[in-house]
Amino acid sequence: MSKIRSKLNVLKHFISEFTSLTKRGPSGWMVIIGVIIVLAIVLMTLLSPWISPHNPAATNVGPIRAPPSAEFPLGTNHLGQDMLSRILCGGSIMLQVSALSVLVCFLIGVPLGLFSSYVGGNVDKVISLIIDAVYAFPGLVIAIAIAAMLGPGVINMALSIAVVYIPSYFRIVRSQVLSIKELSYVEAAKAIGAKWHTILSRYIFPNVVPSIVVIATINFADAVLTAAGLTFIGLGISKAIPDWGWDLYDGWRYLSSGAWWIITFPGLMIILIALGFTMIGEGLSELLNPKLQH
Amino acid sequence: MNKIDLTIAVLVLIAIIISSSTLVYTTTVMSNVSTLTSDVSTLTTSVGNLTSTIGTLTTIVGDLAEKVGGYSEAIANLTARLAAIEAALAAREKETLIVGTTDSVELTLDPAQAYDYFGWCILQQIGGTLVAVKPGSTTGADFVPELAESWNASADLDVWDFTLRQGIKFPDGTEFNATHVKYSFDRAIGLIPSIPEGAPAGLGYDAIINRTEVLGTYKVRFYLNFPFSPFLGILACRASTIVNPKYAPMAQVNYTAGDPRASTPVAFVGPYYLAKWDRVAGRDIEIRLDANPYYWNATSEYPKTEHVIFKFYSDPSTLRLAVEAGDVDMAFRHISATDVLDLQTNPNVKVWWGTGAFIQYLCFQEKYAPFNDTRVRVAVTAALNRSALCNTVFLGLADPLYSIIPPGMLGHTEAFKKLGDANYTLTRSLLAEAGYDESNPLTFDLWYESSGHYPSSADQAVVIKEALEASGVIHVNLKSADWASYKKNRDDEIMQAYIYGWYPDYVDPDDYAFLYWAKWIHTNYDKVNPDKYNQQVDLYNQARATTNTTLRAELYAQIDDIAVEMCSVVPLYVSSAWAVTKPNIYGIYLDITQDMRYWLIYIGE
Amino acid sequence: MGLRSYILTRILLTIPTLLLLLSAVFIVMRVLPGDPVALHFEKRATPETMEAMRRVLGMDKPLWMQYVDYLSGLVDIPYLFEHGYPNLGKSMQTFEDVGGQIFSAFPATLELAIYSTLIATLIGIVLGVISSKHYHSIIDHLIRGFGTVTYAIPIFFLGIIFQLIFGVYLRWLPTGLRLSPTVSPPTGLNIGGIHIATGLYTIDSLLEGNIFKFFECVKALLLPSLTLGLILSGIFIRLTRTNMLETLRLDFVTAAKARGLNESTITYGYALRNAFLPVLTMMGMQFAILLGGAILTETTFSWPGLGRYIVDRINFRDYTAIQGAIVMFGLFVTLVSLAVDILYAYLDPRIRY
Repeated sequence: MSKIRSKLNVLKHFISEFTSLTKRGPSGWMVIIGVIIVLAIVLMTLLSPWISPHNPAATNVGPIRAPPSAEFPLGTNHLGQDMLSRILCGGSIMLQVSALSVLVCFLIGVPLGLFSSYVGGNVDKVISLIIDAVYAFPGLVIAIAIAAMLGPGVINMALSIAVVYIPSYFRIVRSQVLSIKELSYVEAAKAIGAKWHTILSRYIFPNVVPSIVVIATINFADAVLTAAGLTFIGLGISKAIPDWGWDLYDGWRYLSSGAWWIITFPGLMIILIALGFTMIGEGLSELLNPKLQH
Repeated sequence: MNKIDLTIAVLVLIAIIISSSTLVYTTTVMSNVSTLTSDVSTLTTSVGNLTSTIGTLTTIVGDLAEKVGGYSEAIANLTARLAAIEAALAAREKETLIVGTTDSVELTLDPAQAYDYFGWCILQQIGGTLVAVKPGSTTGADFVPELAESWNASADLDVWDFTLRQGIKFPDGTEFNATHVKYSFDRAIGLIPSIPEGAPAGLGYDAIINRTEVLGTYKVRFYLNFPFSPFLGILACRASTIVNPKYAPMAQVNYTAGDPRASTPVAFVGPYYLAKWDRVAGRDIEIRLDANPYYWNATSEYPKTEHVIFKFYSDPSTLRLAVEAGDVDMAFRHISATDVLDLQTNPNVKVWWGTGAFIQYLCFQEKYAPFNDTRVRVAVTAALNRSALCNTVFLGLADPLYSIIPPGMLGHTEAFKKLGDANYTLTRSLLAEAGYDESNPLTFDLWYESSGHYPSSADQAVVIKEALEASGVIHVNLKSADWASYKKNRDDEIMQAYIYGWYPDYVDPDDYAFLYWAKWIHTNYDKVNPDKYNQQVDLYNQARATTNTTLRAELYAQIDDIAVEMCSVVPLYVSSAWAVTKPNIYGIYLDITQDMRYWLIYIGE
Repeated sequence: MGLRSYILTRILLTIPTLLLLLSAVFIVMRVLPGDPVALHFEKRATPETMEAMRRVLGMDKPLWMQYVDYLSGLVDIPYLFEHGYPNLGKSMQTFEDVGGQIFSAFPATLELAIYSTLIATLIGIVLGVISSKHYHSIIDHLIRGFGTVTYAIPIFFLGIIFQLIFGVYLRWLPTGLRLSPTVSPPTGLNIGGIHIATGLYTIDSLLEGNIFKFFECVKALLLPSLTLGLILSGIFIRLTRTNMLETLRLDFVTAAKARGLNESTITYGYALRNAFLPVLTMMGMQFAILLGGAILTETTFSWPGLGRYIVDRINFRDYTAIQGAIVMFGLFVTLVSLAVDILYAYLDPRIRY
């Protein structure tokens, strides 16, 4: 009973922190707006099977490349598919790919960074060297090469994006840990005889979390854009599943014939979700930056 | 509910309201924008009227000035000089044809190795073959003399004699004669496979030609390995371009792409020569053809345009924009169906239509279930809806194809119509026999190529999947791979059903019919159904051993009938052909060869 | 340690980094499915011809030997002097020298990278300074909003909108390519026997003295670099703003204000100079990244640069070409980050290693 209560307390604490953001000035507002945008899109995608007026994958539900009208509020694309349904359902692949890639980055980059910087010395130097080598890879090229290598698929796309971002996590974590490591209370903990995993989990990691959250959100935004880019090159998942990235690619081909609605709405959605995450990340990084406190 | 939960609920509600209202707002804004644009256009016409009124006013003022006198003569002189400059400019412009394309020479301009459409296109403008297909030919069987004046074949169609044209001189003074012909074909055969440097063009001359003999200075004879009626078609294609031995070493392929001198082995025989070849990082940037002063047919008025410049764009959308902006004079291939239909309504663009020869077909892997069962293959074939495919994806600019030989050509039939389109009753009954029904649908992977090797392949797959699933007893998983992986998958035989395409090397049913059983498509048809395979191969060999068109047509019809029975390779559609040009361009022939003969094109009024 | 030893250590460290990069690329390429040999043949793939092609491509040798050949080509100095580019092998698809191909594609990418970075930095610094000076006002919010939104736009989306507006509707600018069809590329300076050509069309046309060509080049360059520059400016806006804000809060600024120095001297003379260093680092990094070829921009605008080259080669499974391109890119990034770090260490007296 008390465990549940303590968990509820943590939740309440978290939520009150969240609502107190409104009092923290424009950065706080940025975070809130970002969260609202992201939540709205996630909700929309989750509810899409029930709220879509048509089957998004069915062709010829309407005339080909029909402009927005009462029957098809967002128009139809070149295969006669309803754009509104495609917009509602199309975010799922992108969200999955981005979420998965953030997860992979987190699971690999963070422990590696923690370990490397805490241990220090030659081990740190070697690992940093390897990570620098990966960092020197041209990002999109790696993603393209891996996507071409593994073939299309949600997991493969996520992996190819993750590989590109792991170095960033590593670096951020490492630089944070390096500065925290020398602080007096960490020394004190060591003096008491605390084990390394206690020090890492109780002292260092909580201080690193804010930076990780910031970079995770930026990573998310970039992953969305990279996923769109990969589909644009032709490495997207199979076309049977509605996806904003595919609509962008198709919309591009038909823009010159005047069908602006095929590319505009998916484009806006991608901008919106990337914007949402970027706002969260930016707002948080401003809030957490001590040098900017009045 | 306490305050915090309430806040969360309200926030979520606000979020939903915001997103839905944004959507509604955006749509209303966008529709307002379109009314605004129409208002703007009416305004523009009013402005246009105003401008013309100003024009009349100006003429009145001009008359006044003349009456003042003195200056009128000076003005007249100036106008005359301006007109002369403009005429010179216009004349200059008429000398150059600018062609936009998204192609690129793939590897080389050496006829022994080149096997890409664009490489062949350039070869045709700068080199010569013994015979050529008449421009405008609908069957592909109207041959006209080019470097050969006349020819005849033995009754068995396995010995062919050619009398060559005399008086054709290369720039260095050498005269074209039979030794050059023998050298070219020996080289084309000899570079397979013994020489490490070389790899053959896709035509397999060594299988067809036994040897070439020089009978006289201007007489040459080919001994073939078997009776082969389409031999002229082979001689008319680019791989048979004659080379100058001086510049084409027997044991080496010319690979210096990007250097205009790479064309010297074949050059100076055709209407143009390669004046400029800019290539950056494996892709062409600009190719320039200049009129060949040594062209054997120079007494005619060909080439009609002095210079042809090719400009390379990265994709069809950008090419279309370039056509609309007037950056290029013409574009052929790589303008999408939507774009060409739009361009039809554009007064600044002329669209030319022609016969198509590019086909796509569906292949089934017969090594494993489910497609080792003929009933299943026939069932899936019957469920195809070719008209939906042609109308939805290609907007009617492709035609359903019911025989692997496209319309217009000898041997074309409507054989696959026997199975019908979207013939779901047949599908269901056949699949029921094989044990599939609604509760246990036939499930398989349909593969398509994803890197743009074929047009709109992803859209095709979506539409085909829909048609098949509408039968109620089929479930399709779409899978894709880029060209390199697709080919590997084909060779590894891991794709259950896959879509492939074909562009003819030479225009003869002989170059299409074999697609039903071609080993390199890896359907394993020959292993799983050897009797039918042998039957078809036998008919095929008979058909190439005679020039009797009625007999040939009959034989190809029989091949088609077996193909419909077995459904191992199923024709889907044949594409139309089109070109877009500025209104003042003439001389375009879009015939069944799919060749663009640039020397026939000229800029008029 | 001192500056010199720092530089030396950094240079020495780049070598193992590069080696790691090369090896990783080599391995990754061999794992990719899709056989470059098979891609040469459509129909006639008899075992002998495949073997012959394999020999030509050097793929019949054992892997470790291919690796050694590859590495030895890179340190082949005589080749470097003879051709002007390192020996990166021959393309498996077109048999041209990979080094030659890369260096012919490079100037286009370089030009785009230079102008895009310049535009991004200019917009970024100007807007960042303005934003920081009007901290928490409407202007600040608008500029920050602008910076955030531009970064979230997919680059090909913005690119094609620009193409449509400026290329199709207004017909002011060309929709793609480095130069319009009827203009021949500039040849650079040609006086007496001296021939200088940089490969950068803008500079070469000026060297040639052809103003008309210069304007044509600028027209073609405008849309792609503007698109890229706009998208990237967001980073610089944010960076400049943050750094300016930090610097403006420091004691020496308060002291300067107390002494009565006017606003612009403080902003530009003192604060910006101090805030500039991180911006410089970012400039260098962005520039290096762009040198790898802005693939999406190059595809949208038919820009014949390294980005498009790499994508083409991946499609053809052209191992040697991809290896070469990634190696060159790794080299650029490493060199540029080294240069930036050294510059930083030189300029910032606070940093001593």
